[in-house]
Amino acid sequence: MNKQMIIAGLKARPVRTTVSILAVALEVVLILVVVGLTTGISDETGRRTEGVGADILLQPPNSSLFLALSNTTMPIALRDKVRELPGIKAVSPVQTLVNSSSGLEIIYGIEPDTFNAVSNGFIWHRGRLFNSPDEVVVDDIYAKSKGVTVGDSVELLNHKFKVSGIVEHGKGARLFVSLKTAQEMTGQNGKASMFFIKLDDPDRVETTIAEIKRLLEGYGVIPLREYARLMMSNNMPALDAFISSVVFIALCIGVLVIFLSMYTTITERTREIGILRSLGASKKFIVTLIFQESAAICGVGALIGIGSSFVIARTIMAVFPTLTVLITPDWIGKAVVFAVLSGIIGSLYPSLKAAKQDPVEALAYE
Amino acid sequence: MKSLLETADLRKTYTVGKIEIEALRGVDLRIREGELVAVMGPSGCGKSTLMHVLGAMTKPTAGKVFIDGQEISGMSDSELTGIRRDKIGFVFQKFNLLPTLTARGNIEIARYIHGKGVASNGHDQHLREILQLLMIEGKMERKPSELSGGEQQRVAIARAVANKPAILLADEPTGSLDSKNSEVVLNMFRELNRRFKQTIILVTHNPELVAFTDRLIEMRDGVIVSDNDSLSWDTENELAQPARSV
Repeated sequence: MNKQMIIAGLKARPVRTTVSILAVALEVVLILVVVGLTTGISDETGRRTEGVGADILLQPPNSSLFLALSNTTMPIALRDKVRELPGIKAVSPVQTLVNSSSGLEIIYGIEPDTFNAVSNGFIWHRGRLFNSPDEVVVDDIYAKSKGVTVGDSVELLNHKFKVSGIVEHGKGARLFVSLKTAQEMTGQNGKASMFFIKLDDPDRVETTIAEIKRLLEGYGVIPLREYARLMMSNNMPALDAFISSVVFIALCIGVLVIFLSMYTTITERTREIGILRSLGASKKFIVTLIFQESAAICGVGALIGIGSSFVIARTIMAVFPTLTVLITPDWIGKAVVFAVLSGIIGSLYPSLKAAKQDPVEALAYE
Repeated sequence: MKSLLETADLRKTYTVGKIEIEALRGVDLRIREGELVAVMGPSGCGKSTLMHVLGAMTKPTAGKVFIDGQEISGMSDSELTGIRRDKIGFVFQKFNLLPTLTARGNIEIARYIHGKGVASNGHDQHLREILQLLMIEGKMERKPSELSGGEQQRVAIARAVANKPAILLADEPTGSLDSKNSEVVLNMFRELNRRFKQTIILVTHNPELVAFTDRLIEMRDGVIVSDNDSLSWDTENELAQPARSV
């Protein structure tokens, strides 16, 4: 019977019901897409960095795991010290550049020989390695998203580069120039942002990390196989704070819309509440009825929000192939919980106000 | 016949701003089980307030109210809600049907609140008889906006008696109806009283309504000024025994 009343009540006010449902859907979309984009980019960057194939990542002191955010460097000469440690197969210095003119693109300045030694080399789709300072190698996703092929020009950091080759994605960055070019562009000659280290025996990662830490005190040394996990929001205080802020704003939107919807509903339906009270409906019955109506709005809104999030995620990834939106089951669950929570918080005061109404006054309400 | 409803020195004062309005100023009243009573008086005489107090919708300021043997003036809000749910049926001048529900939905919500739910075949025998008597069997799937005033009031009566309340309180039940529909509705009250021994209290200022009732109580300025009760009362302890449901 409650279900019948709730459906009838929602159908009687189609515009308000639709707007409320869409607002809850927006709340869910906001959470899933923003969190999905953030974690997707982190996760994809992490996996791509792991995909280099090295065993250890060495960074200068005070560096960020977000390679794009790091502008600290270390002398390449340190490589020789590291190579003297036992079990080191190869050390590849990389200077990172960030091109933000069209999105956020990380460019690796690499030494082809040492980079191939740690990564087992590129898988080539077309073309060849760069031979001159104004040549760049791009990965297949970048080539597809920008519509470029071998021989085309691309502008990076106010420099024109010619695409010399296209490689399979998954080797750290999407663009590669020579280490020397990168050093000149950043004015960091003889320096690198990080070293990728390959070991003879991958099982010696922890031992080697301890040895490097003794050798280079204060430097960042992490096993590369854990890079993606370390890039997750719970290991990144700033990212976690950003996601929490987005969730809070989304929750506020949901709470305010549900509050407004339920408050105007109970004001309009004062007489109906009086009728129910005259029939012997308890305060609990009224509160439950309003909560159930709010739950119905939130439930439908959450479902539409989840569906819309997947559509939006696919659209984003189709339009911007370099972006990844990662919608995970745990965040879908969290978004539903937040939607329900906004329904509960938003309808708390209106439902209590409705239940407290004097039946005689409510019946006299015009 | 035993007493079903009784008040003793019943008083109700409203405060509007700094002004106190004495709506009821010492009402002593006894209604027997199965009576059809009209409470009459001019506007503002306190008859609607009396109905609200007798219907456990509001608490009196002073005095006592016994409904089916239970003294309700000291009851909590939830206890009064229980009294309304279990013992009272209301019929209002403006029908007060829930506009989003059909006629059937309006009756079923009363049964749902009462805890009876809906019988598997849609209605139980009592409700079927009520619907036949009120001639609304064919209107059950219509919403209030699709019914005439007379039909709406008959649905409201069906809703009020669906749970077999001890007392049916009707506040100006013909106030929004034309004379033809008024007569139909009043005859139905009469029939409900006759056939089901339903105790009914009609609150009205319409003198024509008196012809349909057994007893007339007249009010003025918050007190009862006349009562044509022709039957004698038995012992005081009649109130101790709860009334039989109709």
